[in-house]
Amino acid sequence: MGWTPFVFLSPFLLTFCVFLAYPLYDSAILAFSQTYGPSHSVWVGFANFKNMFQDPDFWTALKNTSLYTLASVTIQLPLALLLALILNQPGLKGRTLFRLIFFLPSLVGLVFVAMMFSLMLGDRDGLVNVFLRSVIPGFPGEFPWLQNYVMASLILASLWMYVGFNMVYFLAALQSVSQDALDAAAIDGANAIQRFWYVILPEIRPVFGFVVLLSLIGSLQLFELPYVLLNGAGPERRGLTLVMYLYQNGFDRNDLGFASAIGWTLAILLMGLALVQRRLSRNE
Amino acid sequence: MQLSPGSWSILTLAVLSSILLLLSPVLHTTGETFWIFSLDHDLMYEPVVTEWNQSHPDPQDHVRTYVIGVAPLTRRLQSGFLSGTPVPDLTEVESSMAGNFFSGPLDAVGFTDLTDLIHKEGLDTKINPASFGPWTNRGHIFGLPHDVHPVLLAYRADIVEAAGIDVSKIETWDDFIRVMSPLMKGDQGQRYLMNVWETNPQALEILLLQAGGGFFDQDLKPIVNSDTNAKVISTIVSWIAGPNRVCVNAPDFDAEGNYLFLHGDVLCSLMPDWLAGVWMKDLPGLGGKMKLMPLPAWEKGGLRTSVFGGTMLGIPKRAPDFQRSWEFAKHLYLSRELAEHLYRAVGIITPVREFWDDPVYDQPNPYFSGQPSGRLYVQMAPQVPLRTSSPYKPQALVAINDALIRLKQYAVRESKFDAPSLMAQAHVELGVAQAEIERKMAANAFLQNP
Repeated sequence: MGWTPFVFLSPFLLTFCVFLAYPLYDSAILAFSQTYGPSHSVWVGFANFKNMFQDPDFWTALKNTSLYTLASVTIQLPLALLLALILNQPGLKGRTLFRLIFFLPSLVGLVFVAMMFSLMLGDRDGLVNVFLRSVIPGFPGEFPWLQNYVMASLILASLWMYVGFNMVYFLAALQSVSQDALDAAAIDGANAIQRFWYVILPEIRPVFGFVVLLSLIGSLQLFELPYVLLNGAGPERRGLTLVMYLYQNGFDRNDLGFASAIGWTLAILLMGLALVQRRLSRNE
Repeated sequence: MQLSPGSWSILTLAVLSSILLLLSPVLHTTGETFWIFSLDHDLMYEPVVTEWNQSHPDPQDHVRTYVIGVAPLTRRLQSGFLSGTPVPDLTEVESSMAGNFFSGPLDAVGFTDLTDLIHKEGLDTKINPASFGPWTNRGHIFGLPHDVHPVLLAYRADIVEAAGIDVSKIETWDDFIRVMSPLMKGDQGQRYLMNVWETNPQALEILLLQAGGGFFDQDLKPIVNSDTNAKVISTIVSWIAGPNRVCVNAPDFDAEGNYLFLHGDVLCSLMPDWLAGVWMKDLPGLGGKMKLMPLPAWEKGGLRTSVFGGTMLGIPKRAPDFQRSWEFAKHLYLSRELAEHLYRAVGIITPVREFWDDPVYDQPNPYFSGQPSGRLYVQMAPQVPLRTSSPYKPQALVAINDALIRLKQYAVRESKFDAPSLMAQAHVELGVAQAEIERKMAANAFLQNP
C-alpha cells in the first residue's frame, strides 16, 4: 500500500491540522498568557482563569446566558412542539401557509431582528407599548423594555425568530410517528394527552434530544441579538452574554489570552451540558 | 471514472473561477493611503487633497483617501499594528476608540510618537492644548488633533422666550432647574427640561468633565470615587428619578428622541459643536426655534462648558515615508481653508488658535435663531476640560454609569430624591466602580511594567 492511503487522507489531515488542531493547541497556550499582538506575550499561568472567576462581569454573563438558555429550552421548544402538533393536523385548512408563516422569521438575519425589535420596544412610541396602551387602560406612557426588562425582550425576540425553525424539526419527526400505533391507542381508549405522552413523545424523542442540544449550543453562543438590540451589553450589563464577554475582552480590549480562557471555559461548559444531555437521553 | 453532469458543472465552475481569480489584477496603490472614518470628513478634505495632489507631480506623493466605518477602521488598524498586516500611511482615529491603541507596552503603540516634533515645531502652542489630551498617553503625543468640541446647552428658544424666561439669568444648574421648571406643564401635556438619562453615558461624561470630575488623573490612576463624581451622579439621579423628575430618555440619533424634540416635549440638550452640525442636517424642523447658551455651572463662577468627542490624525510607525506623511498631515489640519470649511460644512471649530478670529465664526446661524453659533463655541474653546487617554476609560465610564443606575434604584427604593441625601450612597456605588477599574488595571501586566 505504501503512501497511497496517506495521500488520500492528506487533504483532510492537512485541513484538520491547520484549521482545527493547531488553533486549538495555540488557543490553549494563549489561555495561559497575556498578549498584546504576537510579539508581546507574557506567561501568566492560571491568572486569566483566576481573574475571570473574580470578575463580576463573568458571573453576570453566565447568569444571563443561563437564564436565556433555560427560557429557550423551557418556553421555545414546548411552543415549537405545540405549533408542530397543531399544524400536523390533516384537517387543518391552509396548514402549509401557516407552516410557511411560522418558519419565515428564521430566514431573517439576527441583526435585522434586533433592529426591528429595538424599534418595536421603544420606551414611549414603540409598537409594543402603543399596542399595550390601546388594550390596557392605564398602561404607562413610558415603559422601558430595553432598560428594565432586558431578558424578557431578548426571549421575546428569539421566540419570534426560532419557534418556527424548531417547529420544522418537530413536524419532520411527527411524520415518522406510526399512524397504526396512534389508531391502536385511540381504540384502547387513550385520550389526546395520553396519545401524545405515551405514543408521540417516545417516537420523536431522538429528534427532541437533538433539538434540545442544538438549542443549548445556540443559546450559549448568543451574541448578535443583544449586541445590536442593546447597542452593547445594555444597562448594568443586563444583556451581557458569555460570547459578548469574550468578544469585548478579546477584540475591544485586545486581551486575546483572557478571551481564550473564556472560550475554553465556554467550550468545557458546552461539552459538559452535551454529555449530561446524552446521558439523560440514554437513561430514558 | 464517470462523473455526473452535476459534478462536471461544479468542476468547471471551480476551474473557471480559479482562472479568473488568478487573472484578476492585484490593486497596487501608489502614494499615500489615508484612512478616514467619516464620509463628511472625506468630502471636506477632497478639495485640499486634490490641490495637494496637483501641486505634487510625483505619484508617490499623491494622497488617496479611503472611508471606513469607525469600528472596522479601529479593528483593521489595531490588527495591522499587532500582526503586521498592511496599515495606511495616515489615519484618523475617533476619541472613544483611541484607548484601544494604548493598552500594551509603550513601544508597541503602532503610531509614531509625535511629541518631540510637536514641541519643536511649536504646534503645542499653536493648537489648543486641551485638544491633545485624548491622544496623549504616558506623556507621549501620538496624533494631531482635528477639533476642540466644546459643549453648549441648546434650548427651544421659541418656547422658553415665549414664556418670558431670560436665560442670561441662569448661572448654575440649580438656577436652570428653578427657572425652567414652570415650563414642564405645557399646553400639549408633560414636558421635560433635558435629555439626560441613566442610559445616556454621553451626557454623564459631559457633566462629569464639566464638574471637574472624570475618570483618571494625569498619571492615569483612576479617580472614579471622588466627591465631584458623587455630587454629579447624585444630582443626575435627582433629575431623572422621583415624582418631580425634570429629565427624560430622548437619545440622539434615535427616532423617538428626535420626535420628542420636534414636538417640544424636551426643551434642552447638551450640544457639542459637532452635534449642532448633525442637528442642522437631521432635524431641519427645529431651524429657527433653537438657541445656544453656555452650560449652567455646577457652582457660581464654575466652568460653563465641557467637551465631548474628537478625532486625531496619526501616522503609523510602519508608514514608509514619515516626512511625506507629516507634511501632508500639517497641510491638512493646519489649513485655514479647511478650518473654515470644517465649520461651514459640519459646524466643527478648529483647534488651531490663530484661526479663531476668522469672521466665518461670527456669521449669524439661522438654525440657532441668528446667533453666531461659531463664535459662541470659540469663546468656550480655551476653557474645555482636559481629558486623559487611558485604555480603561470606556470601562470606567460604564462602571460610573452602572453606579448611577444603582443609585437611581436606591433612590426609588428609599424614596430619596434630593442630591445631598444621596451623596453617601453615591460614594458606596462609586467605590464599587473604582474597585472594579483598579482590579482590571492591576490584571494588565503591560501597564504594570510599561
